[in-house]
Amino acid sequence: MIKSLKNFLLVALATLMLVFGTTKIAFSKTVEIVMAAPDWPPTRFMQEYFNTNFQQSGDNEIKLTLDFIPWGDFYTNVAASLTSGEQKYSMLVSDSQWLGAFIEGGYFQKLNKYIDADPELGAIFDDMHQGYKEGYTTYPYKSTNYYGFPQFPDNYVNFYRTDIFCNPDENAAFRAKYGKKLPCTYADWEIIVWDDIFDINAFLTRKKGDMMAGKPLDDDIYGMAYQAGKGYDFSSMQINGFFWQYGGDIWDESNQPNAQAEGVVNSDVNVKAFEKYLDLLGTMHPSHKTGNMDIFGIQALYLEGKIASMVNWVGLGAPVVDPKLSKVHDVTGYARQPGTMQDDGTISRWANLGGQPFVLTTWMTDDEIDAAFKIIKWWLDFDTQIAAVKAGGQSCMKSIIYSDGYNALAPWNAAYVASMDWQKDVWHIPEFFELLTQQQEEFDKAITGQKSAKDALDSIAAFQQEILEEAGRIQ
Amino acid sequence: MNRNTGFIGWFLDPKRRGPLLIAPAIILLLLVNIVPLMWSLGLSFFKFRANQMKPPSFSWFYNYEKMLTKENIWESLQTTGIVVASSVFIQMILGFALAMLFAKKFPLRRIILMLVLTPMMLSYVAVGIFFKLFYEPEFGLLSQFIQIFTGEMYVLLATPAGALLGVIVADAWQWTPFVMLLSLAGLVSVPKYLYEAAEIDRISWWRQFTTITFPYVRSLLLLAVLFRTIETFKIFDLVYILTNGGPGTATETIAVLVYRMAFQYFRTSNSTALGYILIFIVIVLTSLYLYVIKKRESADI
Repeated sequence: MIKSLKNFLLVALATLMLVFGTTKIAFSKTVEIVMAAPDWPPTRFMQEYFNTNFQQSGDNEIKLTLDFIPWGDFYTNVAASLTSGEQKYSMLVSDSQWLGAFIEGGYFQKLNKYIDADPELGAIFDDMHQGYKEGYTTYPYKSTNYYGFPQFPDNYVNFYRTDIFCNPDENAAFRAKYGKKLPCTYADWEIIVWDDIFDINAFLTRKKGDMMAGKPLDDDIYGMAYQAGKGYDFSSMQINGFFWQYGGDIWDESNQPNAQAEGVVNSDVNVKAFEKYLDLLGTMHPSHKTGNMDIFGIQALYLEGKIASMVNWVGLGAPVVDPKLSKVHDVTGYARQPGTMQDDGTISRWANLGGQPFVLTTWMTDDEIDAAFKIIKWWLDFDTQIAAVKAGGQSCMKSIIYSDGYNALAPWNAAYVASMDWQKDVWHIPEFFELLTQQQEEFDKAITGQKSAKDALDSIAAFQQEILEEAGRIQ
Repeated sequence: MNRNTGFIGWFLDPKRRGPLLIAPAIILLLLVNIVPLMWSLGLSFFKFRANQMKPPSFSWFYNYEKMLTKENIWESLQTTGIVVASSVFIQMILGFALAMLFAKKFPLRRIILMLVLTPMMLSYVAVGIFFKLFYEPEFGLLSQFIQIFTGEMYVLLATPAGALLGVIVADAWQWTPFVMLLSLAGLVSVPKYLYEAAEIDRISWWRQFTTITFPYVRSLLLLAVLFRTIETFKIFDLVYILTNGGPGTATETIAVLVYRMAFQYFRTSNSTALGYILIFIVIVLTSLYLYVIKKRESADI
């Protein structure tokens, strides 16, 4: 009797599980958000994590579909889609520089009224790190007109080979030659300035067959490398940091129409800073002469063990620790990038902000806007952000980056967080691509020895002055 | 006999069958070719940016004047001229030499000919990536080879002259087979009896070449020059992939500049004006060649 009752209960339970387990919540309709996204790990993670962890709520089922586009074609594809009027995307990942161009074109949705009306969105904005909020959301730059939320915040860190920099024999040899320590720990790197890299690069540049850290080298090796790429914004991102660290500046769009380009972009300070960048570049891997030592170029060199250190975005860190991709996955340390010593003995570490916000387009329906904000709240939620950081992403929400244990979530987190207060952004104006392309070409002429630093900066300043005057941004 | 009357009768009249049959093609051509062309021609007389909400404003010849007075456009035209002249010259010399070689019979001729023709069947992108890897200083074959003698990496694309050479070599490599094919068509059409007569008269090889061979292939060679000049003038993909116009602007051809202006700077009306200036240059070049061919033909008669 007991046995048959038990069997009956088991069958009943199984039936109930079958019925309720397969019953879907009835939604009135499905709202699909199609988002243009660069094809790389932070956005891939977003799609995968959404598919498995997003909790549906409300009457409509929300579907997020990321349209992955290779980085090299991303701007062109997005620009073509927006300007053609096809209205394919409801949301898209945008570089902060693109904000002005696409806001003026009428494609990006202004968010102020939604933020003012929704305390949760307001709280998200209050929680964002100020420098990142200005960079990712404002147009004009540093205004109170908001357009975006952080999809993937980023800044530079220094990736370095601990098996070389911490090798006792190399340290002893370096000390004997230069009278100082080869930086090994995070604390050691904190006092390193760009001038120190000349010695480090001279010391670590060795030929195939030479000894390095007790082993014969199977290939040539070079010291530190940073960006020197003609494409997109590669050289500018590093060189802008040099300008700011030396006390110089780029054209200040937040001070229109009074801010000038001539006299600022080609100031003596900027020329000195650019000369330092070029001098140091001369000690780096020869591929900089091709204009291809960009973020992917130096990443490839580092993963193959051909350079001892690289200054690169955190977003490119995940492959470094992947044993399938990296020869140095278990011998890499992380620090802040070097800075420039100031007269008062402090080190300036200004750098160009990296990362991207995501934005809403102006043709979204009310249902789509509602769905988009649910996705944004989910993405910037504490647990999602922590999961993203664990997967190689980053956050710029103060409640997260300053939370206990954050620095232990990824090996580069300490360097990332410590660098956050030293970020400035490049222009957000619609003319940015023209300014950027001409600047990249002139930087490349200086990098490849066709022009002096001064001549290149004079040309950039004159061009920017003309374009910005024509656009009415300089009087 | 039941005949259609009224509009249907008029429409189905045998006199109208011809125009009716070609009408769909004409309409399609108008829609996808002529209308956009006229639209862009119109745009070139306005101030307009495709990424901004401002309505176009009529500006007469402002865009043309601006494009023709820009220093970087003249530099770009000069770069294009160097690439066109050098690449087409190499293609003509090598293409004709190869055609002379393949005009004779030798073992495995067909197979080797097929392999030699392969580059022109590849896409520009594939050729661009292939040469980018070939010139790559770290592991590229060229650098590896030179490293044997110098012990140093060789960075061909680091200097303006080297980068230009890199582009010219890549373009010539891809399109020499095309010139060879046209020349070969001319060479095989030369009647054998002319050579036999020349042999009997003990005429030198050079004389045979200048009086028999070359006159037969001359018009085809001029056609090859015409095709290759027009095509090379528009060179974009190869340059964009190989050097991205660099170092600096050393290899920025006019087609690359038009692309940047149109789709990166969104100077829509400026780029259309520049596009029409290019079309004008190509038309002038084509007319010049046709004029030369016509003049030579009339001189021959």
